[in-house]
Amino acid sequence: MMDAVRSEGASRDAWEALAARRDAQRARESALLTSAFGAVGLATVLLVFALVAIIAFKGAPTLSWEFLTQPPREGMSAGGVGSMIFGSILLMLGAFVMATPLGVFGGVCLAEYGERSRLMRLMHASVAALAGTPPIVYGLFGLAIFVLKFHFGVSLVAGWGTLTLFCVPAIVLTTEAALKTVPAALIDGGLALGLSRWQTLWRIALPYALPGILTGVILSLGRAVGEATPVLFTASVYYTTAETTLGWDTLRQPVANLPYYLAEGYRQPGVVPERLIWGACLTLIMLTLLLNAGAILIRSRMRRRYL
Amino acid sequence: MIATMTTPKQKTAIETIDLSVSYNSKPALKGVSVAFPENAVTALIGPSGCGKSTLLRAMNRMNDRIPDVAISGRVLLNGHDIYDRRVNLTRLRREVGMVFQKPNPFPMSIFENVALGPRLHYGIRGCALQEVVEDALRKAALWDEVKDDLNKSGLALSGGQQQRLCIARMLAVQPRILLMDEPCSALDPISTQKIEELIAELGTRYTVIVVTHNLQQAARISHYTGFLMYGEVVEWGETAELFARPKHSETEDYIRGRFG
Repeated sequence: MMDAVRSEGASRDAWEALAARRDAQRARESALLTSAFGAVGLATVLLVFALVAIIAFKGAPTLSWEFLTQPPREGMSAGGVGSMIFGSILLMLGAFVMATPLGVFGGVCLAEYGERSRLMRLMHASVAALAGTPPIVYGLFGLAIFVLKFHFGVSLVAGWGTLTLFCVPAIVLTTEAALKTVPAALIDGGLALGLSRWQTLWRIALPYALPGILTGVILSLGRAVGEATPVLFTASVYYTTAETTLGWDTLRQPVANLPYYLAEGYRQPGVVPERLIWGACLTLIMLTLLLNAGAILIRSRMRRRYL
Repeated sequence: MIATMTTPKQKTAIETIDLSVSYNSKPALKGVSVAFPENAVTALIGPSGCGKSTLLRAMNRMNDRIPDVAISGRVLLNGHDIYDRRVNLTRLRREVGMVFQKPNPFPMSIFENVALGPRLHYGIRGCALQEVVEDALRKAALWDEVKDDLNKSGLALSGGQQQRLCIARMLAVQPRILLMDEPCSALDPISTQKIEELIAELGTRYTVIVVTHNLQQAARISHYTGFLMYGEVVEWGETAELFARPKHSETEDYIRGRFG
């Protein structure tokens, strides 16, 4: 067949016949790859959906206003997880307030000086490594530094410190990545206008990168709020009768929180009824979903504004 | 080679003396000495890679940002070398504005795009700022098209409008010298015509230096033209003269379209 096109005056049909074979082969290839990737992709999505669906199915009957707002009663065997939600949110807010400026400044530093300085390249590599460090390591570090060395004890403050450390690397990396997406033409425009480097950063680059930065911050908080290990030895208490009140004392006291409640509650079967565990599980998932949804919302809102 | 140039009738606004620029030890400009007359449009033409953009960017020190750039020689503005170590870049760029090839409005409102410069440089606020913004937009021939949409994003404008917005943004800082790096090359013919008219108009009040690939454009809008090749100035003179009676064969070949 190949010989048909070798001679000089090969007919159009000979070329077409050759092409038809390749076309058929290409079509088979496409069909195969499409179905293979489709199947694997679908399986992944289904897996995640199944996970959420099971938890929702098991946990939904427990959910009620009372469950979400009331503290546990009768030796943890009844009541709700109000104090755990409250503690989790408290931990997260403190981490947000401290980790955001630290992480954003770190990211700015890396983005501004990262390429030229060897020290900064080393910093980048270290931060990337830290971002992948297992949370239990942060937990133990927090225990050694905040709880013991600084004598904070197992307390909200120690938990804030530990969660801040846990969140900062991820925020640094997302900030750096977001700043790198700022078009060079915009930076040039700012500098050509006579703005200083910092004015260009503050007025042009940061606003442009803000949606990306905020998304990173919220996602890292979402991760932090679901982790039990950073707060395990630093801030957690399992059984609390304390009312959900705020005061200066709160800072030095441990707080209940959802992931720790789940871990401990599960380890003591018979004390905490299963339906409460499922309910708390669903609550935690909803809390992280809420944060993620918030991140998406913020991003699309800001993008729409001027871009 | 020192370019032979006809002495301009006007005062010199900015001049280069034996200016050489190289990137990564590859020379882009080789000892260029030229003077740009005040309140006139000077066009820089030449084949790609001839150094015309490099010359332009040397005059507000935008080349500084490129890694591994080496610059020697002097650029005199008001008799002072802008490459002097004591020179404040902010002050220099306040006096020497720049418009880029591709319009680059900031991702903020039209008003904010223009207001940013005067606010940061002169601390102007309130009504005065509104007047400065209106004035700059009028000078850039954009006011009538955007006066009702000042809060809209600068990126929502058409390409030609965006470029005029960038010109307004530059004018609002009150520069004396305007550098334009192929300001029309990313625009359609009608927008190009508008910008050309605008450049001609600005040339009566500002020192305008415009790099262009478009020879007809250079002929239409400029009073003076410099022709560069291989990082050197081949010919420099009044536009009408240079296009009608080029003194060098390279110039003639280029403007007759034999290469480039």
